[in-house]
Amino acid sequence: MDGLACEAGLLAAQILSPGERAHWDSMRAVEKRRREWLMGRAVAKEAVRLLLERDLHLHLAPPEIEIQPDAYGCPQVNLVGQAPSPARGSQPRCALSIAHSDGAAVALASLAADTLVGVDLEGLSRRREDFEAIAFSPDERSLIAALAPELRDEWALRLWSAKEAVGKAIGRGLTAGLEAFHITKMETSTGMVTVDLQEAALAQYPRLRGQSLNVYTARESNFVFSAIIYQHGVVRMRPSRQEILDYLLQKMGELTQDWDYTDPVGPESKLFTELGFESLDAVVLCTAIQEHYQTPMPFAELLAEIGEQQRDLSITELTDFVNAHLGAADGTRRVQ
Amino acid sequence: MPNMTESEVLDKFAQIVAKSLRIEASMVTPDVHLNDLGAESLDLIEITMETEAQFHIFLPDKSILETAVEVFGPGILEKDGYLTEEGKRLMFGRMPEADQRAFSGEVAIKDLQAYFLKVSTWVRMIQGLAQYTPAECAECGGAMVPSMGFRMKCSKCAQEITLRSGEELNREWVREYYEKEYRPGADAPVSATAV
Repeated sequence: MDGLACEAGLLAAQILSPGERAHWDSMRAVEKRRREWLMGRAVAKEAVRLLLERDLHLHLAPPEIEIQPDAYGCPQVNLVGQAPSPARGSQPRCALSIAHSDGAAVALASLAADTLVGVDLEGLSRRREDFEAIAFSPDERSLIAALAPELRDEWALRLWSAKEAVGKAIGRGLTAGLEAFHITKMETSTGMVTVDLQEAALAQYPRLRGQSLNVYTARESNFVFSAIIYQHGVVRMRPSRQEILDYLLQKMGELTQDWDYTDPVGPESKLFTELGFESLDAVVLCTAIQEHYQTPMPFAELLAEIGEQQRDLSITELTDFVNAHLGAADGTRRVQ
Repeated sequence: MPNMTESEVLDKFAQIVAKSLRIEASMVTPDVHLNDLGAESLDLIEITMETEAQFHIFLPDKSILETAVEVFGPGILEKDGYLTEEGKRLMFGRMPEADQRAFSGEVAIKDLQAYFLKVSTWVRMIQGLAQYTPAECAECGGAMVPSMGFRMKCSKCAQEITLRSGEELNREWVREYYEKEYRPGADAPVSATAV
């Protein structure tokens, strides 16, 4: 959500529960902060509302989706007036994270079991001169220094934002100290940043011992955005090349279902000349693939390369590309 | 600057905050919280850096509570987001009485975090740390001036000293408290003096 189009009090009256309303009325903060808090509540309630509707066919109004901080300050969702359903034994559990910066707000929610979510937003205009000196360790600074000069400011902010997102995901913020959120890797092609928790943060959240956390970062106009969704204990077998091919053929069949193309889609079908793909279709397909495998892949580079060489892409080639980017072939991988 | 009064520290700190957040310095009063003035995480970093540079001090990277939890181990000072009785004793040992009174009953970690963002908490922390920054050289009495990093240098004899780190000082205080005041299982009230 970017900016607040209506009078804040009017929005507050529409979306807040009585408990939230009491907090809003007692907030002593400056107007900018009050508005950002309200925008944060608005987007968070909308994210939860859409999820409940889509996955549980539960239709709730924003005031019925109450968001209250727990003792650590981490937002918790409470569905007002929702009796625990006999089938579930309790209220649906919803992981939620909210961020605001520079007059914009964003929220991330998940109904998946045992899942952590963290989101962060940083306005590029708020980047401070030399903040790297205090925010990062020497080896994190050398990751930034290795980048092309025009990328450094944005990536310094992405790394900072990634730490914030992880802090929110573990529910304790960065209270364990900045060096407890150690960045070991970043990929400029996909935006992925890898964070390893150090002892002080692991003491707060022991279940993450031995896990690297992948945070997706992106830049959107004047903002840098980070998000992490981490599901405990989910280890999926790495798919074989054949499984990837089967998935792509099936996906392609779905995508081209309503199109004029009538021949069956096969491994050698060419995306652009035969299946009639346009660049937007390619983006939709690439996004679907990354979501399916929950792994970012440098599709932008692949498409640019094809564009440069003025050639087409077969499903076989796409399979090989996905296969090559699905990480270590040690049989298992963490799915996040 | 070891001998600044509380109001001198407040005035100077208010200027730093006002400049960083682009607000009037008169808004930065002892009872207000930095986040309520609109400070985001990166603003706090800038305020920290400016404060360190202008007061010649080395602020801690984490709160005294986090340092204390590291020394005491998990579950002793804090449990499920609230201070234990032991935790309250330790934290209240560092607070002026008026601040203690603001906490009634259960003390949630989020309320302590808000307390750490209060302007008066910062002012006292700055004043406490500034005591460790000498104004004059111990060797020759010359005026000390800031040097590279967290160091000060004598303007006369070039003698250099490293500033005491706030985190180290916190850790020392906690260790001493742990050895002298902490009796596992005992419930007797203890008195601790604020640094």
